[in-house]
Amino acid sequence: MEADPVAEPILKVEGIHTFIGKHHILQGVSFAVHPGKVTVLLGRNGAGKSTTLRTIIGLLSPSQGSILLRNRAIHHLKPYEISRLGIGFVPEDRGIFNFLTVEENFRVAMLQEDGKTREMMDTIFEIFPDLKKFWKAKAGNLSGGQKQMLAIARPLVNRNELLLIDEPSKGLAPIVIDHLIDSINKLKEYTVIILVEQNFYMASSLGDDFYLFDDGKTVHQGQMQELIQNEELKKKYLGIAGTN
Amino acid sequence: MNPVQLFRLEEKEARFRSPSFFLRILLLAFFVFTPFLFRSFEVLDVVLKIIIFAALVASYDVILGYTGIVSLGHVLYFGIGCYFVGIFMGKLGWTSYGHLALSFLIAIVISGILSVLIGLFSLRIRAIFFAMVTLAFMEFTFILSSQWRSVTGGDDGISFKLPGILAIDFSFGKILGVEFSGRIISYYLILLLSLFLFLLMLRFVHSPVGRVLQSIRDNEQRSIALGYRTYLFQVIGSSFASCVAAVTGGCFAIWVRYVSPDSSLSVSIMLDVLLMVIVGGMGTLYGGIFGAAFLMVTRAFLPKLQVLIASLLPGIPFAIRLSERWLFYFGLLFIIIVYFFPKGIVGTAQEILARRKRE
Amino acid sequence: MNPSWRRWLPTLIVFAIFLSPFLLISPKTYITLTISGLAMGMLLFLVSSGFSLIFGFLSVLNLAHGALFTWGAYIGFTAFTLINKWTGWGGPNSMILNIVIFLLALIVAGLLVAVLGIITERLVIRPVYGSHLFQIFITVGAMIVMEELIRIVWGPNDEVMPVPFNFMGSWDLFDVVVSKYPLIAIVVGLILYIVIFMILRKTKIGTIVRAGVENPEMVQVMGHNIYRYFTGVFAAGSALAAIGGGMWATFVKSIHPAMGGEIIVFALIVAIIGGLGSMTGSVVGALMVGLSYNYVAYLVPKAALGITMLLLVIILSIRPTGLFPEGT
Repeated sequence: MEADPVAEPILKVEGIHTFIGKHHILQGVSFAVHPGKVTVLLGRNGAGKSTTLRTIIGLLSPSQGSILLRNRAIHHLKPYEISRLGIGFVPEDRGIFNFLTVEENFRVAMLQEDGKTREMMDTIFEIFPDLKKFWKAKAGNLSGGQKQMLAIARPLVNRNELLLIDEPSKGLAPIVIDHLIDSINKLKEYTVIILVEQNFYMASSLGDDFYLFDDGKTVHQGQMQELIQNEELKKKYLGIAGTN
Repeated sequence: MNPVQLFRLEEKEARFRSPSFFLRILLLAFFVFTPFLFRSFEVLDVVLKIIIFAALVASYDVILGYTGIVSLGHVLYFGIGCYFVGIFMGKLGWTSYGHLALSFLIAIVISGILSVLIGLFSLRIRAIFFAMVTLAFMEFTFILSSQWRSVTGGDDGISFKLPGILAIDFSFGKILGVEFSGRIISYYLILLLSLFLFLLMLRFVHSPVGRVLQSIRDNEQRSIALGYRTYLFQVIGSSFASCVAAVTGGCFAIWVRYVSPDSSLSVSIMLDVLLMVIVGGMGTLYGGIFGAAFLMVTRAFLPKLQVLIASLLPGIPFAIRLSERWLFYFGLLFIIIVYFFPKGIVGTAQEILARRKRE
Repeated sequence: MNPSWRRWLPTLIVFAIFLSPFLLISPKTYITLTISGLAMGMLLFLVSSGFSLIFGFLSVLNLAHGALFTWGAYIGFTAFTLINKWTGWGGPNSMILNIVIFLLALIVAGLLVAVLGIITERLVIRPVYGSHLFQIFITVGAMIVMEELIRIVWGPNDEVMPVPFNFMGSWDLFDVVVSKYPLIAIVVGLILYIVIFMILRKTKIGTIVRAGVENPEMVQVMGHNIYRYFTGVFAAGSALAAIGGGMWATFVKSIHPAMGGEIIVFALIVAIIGGLGSMTGSVVGALMVGLSYNYVAYLVPKAALGITMLLLVIILSIRPTGLFPEGT
């Protein structure tokens, strides 16, 4: 399906350069995220995908460039301000609080505790029934897959418009990954997702638009359907050979 | 010749040509001629304390600045050095040159063993624990020495006399107008020892072992990846530094002829060393000289300044106390120095010089 | 995670310490020693918990913590003296009035030192977040300044700490002589512990703090201004140290400017034994140290400090990170 040229992007990232210490990690990252789509950021290890997410959420400050959330500049704001504007973040290491219960994990996430939030919790329980089952359990005792579900479900409780997910399939068994793909598919109607993934199977199952990263720059973009067919691109930037 | 050897050769040559080399010779000359330049004992005392503490701080810098470990109990070894000299000369009355040398030797051995044990025990856990564990050990020893009267003389400590040419009443006669008493001879002995220690530390830090330690400080993961048993090296580094500290402690005991928990094992001495290493600069052995000089001089002369100011102020207790507590201003000054000169005075100076060289 | 017997280890050790002296000490003396041991433990808990929480949450080594303890003692001293002068509540009146003035003095000390803590955090600690080394340096400087300030304001001499009239002396319970003040200290300490525990477990703020001990970055990303929490926790930790200071001063009946330095080593050991960043750890560690110190002090006076060091060595050998993990 063609991207609607009239639809305003929710997030516009333009010409971002980010340094970590002396290292010039991002050397010109630009992309746009449209509502109703899952945007996937792909690329090899170290290409700068995670750094991009961290820059968007404010944990890193760009030295150049701009990030606009619905035409509002956010690249100079602090992480908690950005988060409150409606962006949720699921880091690579999941970021769950192991010594707190599942319930307490959600409590920390909740910015308000009203009727709407309760409704959202019901929806979350529908999509991730395990979380209801283990509501009072310590988060550290959950399985890998369940932890990932918790990490993704948590920011949803605030009905964020945008959700950044960093390599959710890492360390998970194929069956669990399938389960995860199902769940994330159900999330599409509640929030716009930016997904960073190295697992091409997952990326291609979920993604609508894609951006290819190489050496800290965005080098290619397009529709996921195209990428699936394009062996040359896959081999050059993702190291994937042969048919998918 | 391979690149590493070439580099080392260049480094060695550069060392003799650089302007700071002359500065160091000048400094050494100053120390050598101090008894002739200044006749007052007080000045001699301050200068010698600078020398001793410069060596102690340099040994601390080996651990802190070069190996990158934070220890808060380094003065423990200084105290061990002090006490062994004191116990041998004082409590046991074994006053002969041989016994003096023996006390030094035993202090060195015990410091080495102790620091190896503490290192093996606590370097494997988080670095910050090492700091606190060493502090706790030093405190423990402090209390131990103030309670174990039979061996250490308790809180009152041990006063003692030194043998032969080091004794106060000995006199060699006059040289260039200066009475060469036991004091002056002790001064030169300590100067010689401290110089030796300093050169030893320089050698150590530039040796292959020393370079491994620096690599551990800079990037421990990488060193491990390169195959070095990092924590073994850290134990070696800290033991070496502890042995040096023990010798400086012995020197201190020789100079003041008195040892007590407060003068050799207290936390306030550790704080002094900490202050000196910060002011002077970490990772620069010479910083110790500057830091020691800064602290000793202010400590000796600020109180005088304060008496002067107090005499000018009216007799309001609060105002008097405000001017009396020079340590208060020192603390403020110290915080400011840490803010603006995180590399210490010498460290910052080195950095500025290095930057100029690049341009 | 841990084999089950290891999880019981801390409880076992506490029980061992509690019960072993039965073999060597008569029951009556045992009760007296246990009470003073528990009291000392409670006071150590107050001081070390602040330090442990600050380290766990902000990841800051605050060596000036002992100075905050001393400030608490001195402000408590002044507050008590002043209030007593105006109202006379501290004298031979009813126990209730005594308790009121005692608590008032402690509250004033806690609040003022909390303010001092906020100032310290903003000025001195903020610039050195992230570097333990520089935290050590700068907090040492802050400690010197704070101690000297006490000498400037109050004078460099020891002062006698006034004790509410009814706190002195002892009660005769079941033929056992029990000093009054240690018992009161235990009760106050226990109440404070329960309050802290409730705040940490049941309130949202407490949950956020516990989450922050584990992962401060994540808490920020979830929409909370972590810097405000940093300041808050620092203030709370300082207040705890201050209350500990006031109560300790009443215990030993005197104050002097260097008292912080003496207590900080014990507080550090307790924090390490219990596990930095763990409230439960602070309590357990403090009780262990307090009890063992008192028992040994009775049996072999000179070895009292030795037993504390021994505990440190033993526990660090079994569990290098302390008994309880961060955030419990």
